[in-house]
Amino acid sequence: MPRELGDVLHFFLGDAEGPDPEGAPFRNVAPPRPAALPVIALPLSERDVVRAAFAWNLAVEVARLGASATLVAPDGGDPSPAWPEPGPGPVGADVRRAAAGDLAELYRGAMDVAVSRAADAPEGGLVLVCVPPVWLRRPEGGAALTRWSLLFTSSDGRDLLETYGLAKTLLRLRPDARVGVTVHGARGLADAESAFRRIAEVAGRRLDASLTSYGLLVDDLHVYRAIVARRPVGLAHPQSRAARALRDVARLLLEDAREMARV
Amino acid sequence: MSEIEATAAPPRPDLLLRLRARLDDLKPPLRVLAESLRGAESPIDFVAADPSGQVVLVLVGGDGECLELLARGLAQKSWAEPRLRDWLQLAPNLGIRADQPCRVLLLCPEFRPETLAAARSLPPGSLALARYRCVRAGAQVHALVETVDNGGADASEGSGRRGESGRESPPALAERRPSQGAPAPPFRTGLTEDDLDLSPAEKAEFE
Repeated sequence: MPRELGDVLHFFLGDAEGPDPEGAPFRNVAPPRPAALPVIALPLSERDVVRAAFAWNLAVEVARLGASATLVAPDGGDPSPAWPEPGPGPVGADVRRAAAGDLAELYRGAMDVAVSRAADAPEGGLVLVCVPPVWLRRPEGGAALTRWSLLFTSSDGRDLLETYGLAKTLLRLRPDARVGVTVHGARGLADAESAFRRIAEVAGRRLDASLTSYGLLVDDLHVYRAIVARRPVGLAHPQSRAARALRDVARLLLEDAREMARV
Repeated sequence: MSEIEATAAPPRPDLLLRLRARLDDLKPPLRVLAESLRGAESPIDFVAADPSGQVVLVLVGGDGECLELLARGLAQKSWAEPRLRDWLQLAPNLGIRADQPCRVLLLCPEFRPETLAAARSLPPGSLALARYRCVRAGAQVHALVETVDNGGADASEGSGRRGESGRESPPALAERRPSQGAPAPPFRTGLTEDDLDLSPAEKAEFE
């Protein structure tokens, strides 16, 4: 069932109303161990510093929730100096560079990671794969990678148009794709909700597709300072709204990952 | 009227404060963007921009530190240049040119002949030298800055556009909307509207 932002809004309300993001542990259920961890594709440019940082920080937050988390990106290219170094990172979040020149090779590299990490993931986990958007235009043999994807968007009309276009491209590759959207940089909850509803409504009408909301992320000074310092926001500023929002989005992703692993 | 007399440099935090105030008086004037930015193993005292948007890394040294400061300046330049595009993404209103190399400005009380020779061997526009003096006027300490070698950064031409006032506003940000008839700029991902096969009706949905 498609998730509306309203369904998850309580995660993003203030302290008085929302659950304590630091207190309660992730749900205390031991999932069956899958043969491979779920893989989620994140179409984003390696030079998009902010969104690449969100991807990395989400991996760290998934790891902080006790699950396995690996961020995979294709090798080579011209990554930002802010990109994390390959290897085990904070709280066990792993960064891997995959030797890949197209979507198919990236898919194979991601699946290698998904299988190898599943063996050591009693609490489940997730493999986040940064996909060069231009590779979506030549997906031969790699459409399987886009079964589940996450798009970042701001509430700006141009960004929403791009996100809609990416959703359209992903659904053309796989009509059964689950396309998720996380809104960042919104002025407030209402702004984020309005942005998601706008794009979801257009996608529903024009593409006959339901987009899944994965909440919202906060663009604030803590995020930028953490990016420049190459430290995860959740560790550098754990009590900040940015860190709490990341944690909540990570929870949503992990819930769906566990659900997928059970299917 | 108080006498003005030369005086020793104040403690470093005070010195930096006083020098910061003088950067605006240089030719070309500098606009400070950040202070004490952790760069390549040591802080960059000031990250600034000139009227054309070129990033200028300002390092302040004491007596006898000019040659070491030159080496640090080049290291910081090498560190900062790959990061300019990132900074511009993080702060689009910064008004800097990510397509231009950084310039380094060294501020020292004196420059040895060896340092001057090394500076002149570098490509024009990459390094500038300025001497500072501290003077006391009554109870107040002031820093005076004198350009020794502006490294080819011509104040009258600059490396960008010049306005009538001689003070440039930061270069215009890239337009999000193209002028009439021009193709729309690429999206944040680098893809274009054509790449995403967006119809006019779809585009209109988000206007």
